[in-house]
Amino acid sequence: MSGTRLRHPVAAALAVAGYVIMIVPIGFVVATAFTAGSTLRFPPEGLSLTWFGEAVAYSPFMEAVVSSLELAALATALALVLGVPVTLAVHRGRIPGRGLLEGLFLSPLVVPELVVGLALYQQLMIGLHLDNFTTLLLGHTALLLPYAVRVTGASLALADPALEEAARGLGASPVRAFFTVTLPMLRPGLVSAGLLGFVTSFNNVPLSLLLQTRDFRTLPVTMLDYVQQSYDPMVAAASTLVLAATVVVAVVAERTVGFAKIFGGINR
Amino acid sequence: MTTPAAELVGVTQRFGSFTAVDAVDLRIPRGRLTTLLGPSGCGKTTTLRMLAGYATPTSGRILIDGQDATRTPPEKRDLGMVFQSYALFPHLTVADNVAYGLTMRKVPAPERRRRAAEALELVGLGHLGDRRPKQLSGGQQQRVALARAVAVRPRLLLLDEPLSNLDARLRVQMRAEIRRIQSETGLTVVLVTHDQDEALEMSDEMVLMRAGKVVQSGAPRDVFPAPADRFVAEFLGYENFLTLADGREAAVRPEHLRVVTADAPLDGRVDDVVLDAVVRDVAYRGVDVLVTLDATDPAGTAVRLVADHRAEDETPAPSPGARVRLVAPRARLALLTPAAPAAAPATAPEGNR
Ligand SMILES: Nc1ncnc2c1ncn2[C@@H]1O[C@H](COP(=O)(O)OP(=O)(O)OP(=O)(O)O)[C@@H](O)[C@H]1O
Ligand SMILES: [Mg+2]
Repeated sequence: MSGTRLRHPVAAALAVAGYVIMIVPIGFVVATAFTAGSTLRFPPEGLSLTWFGEAVAYSPFMEAVVSSLELAALATALALVLGVPVTLAVHRGRIPGRGLLEGLFLSPLVVPELVVGLALYQQLMIGLHLDNFTTLLLGHTALLLPYAVRVTGASLALADPALEEAARGLGASPVRAFFTVTLPMLRPGLVSAGLLGFVTSFNNVPLSLLLQTRDFRTLPVTMLDYVQQSYDPMVAAASTLVLAATVVVAVVAERTVGFAKIFGGINR
Repeated sequence: MTTPAAELVGVTQRFGSFTAVDAVDLRIPRGRLTTLLGPSGCGKTTTLRMLAGYATPTSGRILIDGQDATRTPPEKRDLGMVFQSYALFPHLTVADNVAYGLTMRKVPAPERRRRAAEALELVGLGHLGDRRPKQLSGGQQQRVALARAVAVRPRLLLLDEPLSNLDARLRVQMRAEIRRIQSETGLTVVLVTHDQDEALEMSDEMVLMRAGKVVQSGAPRDVFPAPADRFVAEFLGYENFLTLADGREAAVRPEHLRVVTADAPLDGRVDDVVLDAVVRDVAYRGVDVLVTLDATDPAGTAVRLVADHRAEDETPAPSPGARVRLVAPRARLALLTPAAPAAAPATAPEGNR
């Protein structure tokens, strides 16, 4: 795929520039994480794993990791549970205004997250007195809905609508047909949407920053706080660990469903 | 007469202001193979989908085994449908695909396996039960779809252009295969096609549709020699139309139009239609030569006609510009004007095939 795209020299140059811009800063962070020195500086002074040990032992980070994982898992599950019926309605339903419905569920992609965050803060936390975790969960769910709808939608669009009809004709009720035929067809889409959603939620800063409190902070927000106070390489080590985990997830995703499918879903 | 397996009574289907199926009355005889034949867009699939329960008629009634089923959902109709795309479940094995309908009917596992195996055996794929649909050829997938529909012993087997995705040879082979399965199982089959050869070869009963309406129906032997109107005639391969001396319109097939030399003796029957013609074009086609001619029909109108000149014919094929004589045997003329009581062939009673 990339082979055909890189044929044009300008396109090739741009692609290389893109990779450099994306990868070089990451390289700096990873390199700094292995320093034996005590400042966030490049090139690293000596080689050691000290700062990884520090990062893992630093309880605010570890608590934040748990919070982040919890939030990401719940928000992803919620987004899928809400998103799949919407996808079905948009692709298979006979409802008027499908386009509008789809647009509504994709809108979080367009509305700036800070605006969403502020709205949630005012309406849910102040207005409805919801606690900070619930508000954050709702915010993240809204954020992930477009991924759920789009990616599972791409899966559904690939499935022959006659499959469900065939199941019905063979004696399956609509519910049975959904669980025995439609859902298995959606599985690659669900896995992709789940992974994407999880990573998106885990990495989110704007919403989490606006809706944080002392007792519930996500990892990115905690790390941001940390860099503002001290300038030691522990943050680089923590970042590297997150990066490593993400790479593992990505490799698993590639092995099980393939990137083309995951990202093909969003580009349409 | 027994109740038909299914019956459509004044069934209409509208999509917005467009009428896809227009007040169709149809009886599907039990234990027979009925084809719905017609050009693209004439409403065949829509009719089949209403029979299967995937679409509800805008008006009219659908009876299955004499019971009103107009609004019965597909899962309660007990029918088998083979889709044009086959619609095999890609995540299940071939055997599980075939057993799906039995699983939905809560047939116990051992019997389910036995009946699925039987159905696969019936279509000659007993050895492929463990494969996935993707690992089969188009023809094999088609057979699996057929086995899946047959396994539940449906009251009605519905096939929507089942052969159109197969190559020409396989298509011809599968025609006989479907006929065999129909007679072995005694199932009532409704088959949609736009291929007149397929319909003629396979049907006990053929139903010709045009623009949402049924234009003619009957056994192929009755329909083929006596098309009801010009549309049916054209669809069945009648390419020549002429007006007789008495003003009636007649159709004749290219293979029934004999080209003879202008001075040939007229040895045929006195009421054969004989026309003087000029050859315009001659096209070699292997088994025959297609001759295009300009002639004047008995009513005095100029007509363009085509005739098949067989290679084994005694006279050599004429060349363009030649003046020739055309002979259309009276018995081969299909009269299209309805007010022709004497000429209409007797309709054979049902059940002689
Ligand atoms: N859901 C629909 N909405 C609007 N129009 C439709 C719909 N389904 C069918 N039609 C129209 O109804 C007419 C009949 O369609 P149908 O699919 O029954 O034709 P067909 O005889 O099966 O043709 P083909 O041989 O091409 O499959 C067509 O003009 C089609 O465009
Ligand atoms: Mg059709």
